[in-house]
Amino acid sequence: MLAGMDLVSVPQAMISRPLVAATVAGALLGDVNAGLRVGAVLELFALDVLPVGAVRYPDYGPASVGAAAIAAGAPWELSLGVAVGVGLLLAMAGGWSLRVLRRINARSVQRHGAALRSGEPRVIRRLHYAGLARDAGRSLLLAALAVGVAGLTIRWARFDRETAVALTIAAVGAGAASALGGALRGAGAGSRQRWLAVGGAAGTAIGVLVWGFR
Amino acid sequence: MNGRGRALLRLLSVQGSWNYERMQGIGMGYAAEPLLDDLRTIDPVRHAEAVVRSAEFFNANPYLAGLALGAAARAEHDAVPGEQVARLRTALAGPLGALGDGLFWAGVLPATAGLALAAVALGGGWWAVLAFLVVFNAVRLFTTWWGLRTGLEAGMRVGSAISASVVPKAATRSGAAAALAVGLATPIVSAWMLHPFGFRGVASAMLLAAAGMVLARWSGARFTAPRFGLLALGATLLLRLVMA
Repeated sequence: MLAGMDLVSVPQAMISRPLVAATVAGALLGDVNAGLRVGAVLELFALDVLPVGAVRYPDYGPASVGAAAIAAGAPWELSLGVAVGVGLLLAMAGGWSLRVLRRINARSVQRHGAALRSGEPRVIRRLHYAGLARDAGRSLLLAALAVGVAGLTIRWARFDRETAVALTIAAVGAGAASALGGALRGAGAGSRQRWLAVGGAAGTAIGVLVWGFR
Repeated sequence: MNGRGRALLRLLSVQGSWNYERMQGIGMGYAAEPLLDDLRTIDPVRHAEAVVRSAEFFNANPYLAGLALGAAARAEHDAVPGEQVARLRTALAGPLGALGDGLFWAGVLPATAGLALAAVALGGGWWAVLAFLVVFNAVRLFTTWWGLRTGLEAGMRVGSAISASVVPKAATRSGAAAALAVGLATPIVSAWMLHPFGFRGVASAMLLAAAGMVLARWSGARFTAPRFGLLALGATLLLRLVMA
């Protein structure tokens, strides 16, 4: 529930970032490495759209918990692609639920328009607590959905080894494209593009040095 | 706890009632309550008017919202005419949104998350995740505290206080750090994940990544990351089924 509420409501402390939520979920399920790997790939996707103002963005918190639950205890090479796919679907569902919540909050504010004009702090407090309670409910439902979908996926989604590996490779490639695409958009045409290129070159060199000769 | 401390705590949930009618307005009114309490005994009419104003439409970056909150509260205590206080809030919303989004969402967050990703891939494990949380939240909490304090001290002159502060420069520099960190992290994480799959695995993923970036450039913001990810996974699954 905290992973869901953290995105917008409280405390916006980045507990809902995939890298954090999936790692914690993995640790709780006894497989922190699965959580780290799923979290790292979903984090690449999450770097594409950042929670700016009124922008519509996916809710990766509960989704990362569900994805980590799918990967925990299984060989990561075979489970990562499926886990990321389910995580992305859940993240989109979470984003949709956030828009519904905001519309419900707006209707509640409209209904209390006259009371708000009275200048009584109690009215504001009540509206705020109601908004928080609704988001808590939304997050709880999303978390339950994530756990349920994870359970069904573990039970029913079975692929041969080659297909499972292909899905994992596709998930990593798509994640890399998302992170770099977002960074390119954010970099604009100025010096940030140069910094991005420098980082990319350094990262590639490190990647080749560390894993290229194994 | 004094009013300032309570307002600071309440700022942590400033978006708790975010809605399409007043956006952060209700959350700002909630956070303003402890700062306006004193007015109730001094001037009850002014207090009621100030409470109404505090919950009007507002939207800015949540971590810099304290600047507007503090400045408006100080102006209410200084008996600045109500229309001027309302204009101050309106005038601050846009710049605080742009500045805060540039500093945090396009700067500090991708920079720290990128470094954490690279550290995880290089064997940092969950310590890297913990370090990310600690660093990000230290910057965020300090900024929120600084914003509220500066707003309360500066009142109507908060615009000059922001210009004179380190925030505008930090927003520019953190963007460059974010580009560097995300550029660094992406190939490191990809290499960490893909090295067991050999050259074919790396080449397939790179091809897909290139296709995704072309697609993102062509379609703009419409084609979101989750949609692209699901499309890539769906196409892979379809291809495997056809080949089987």
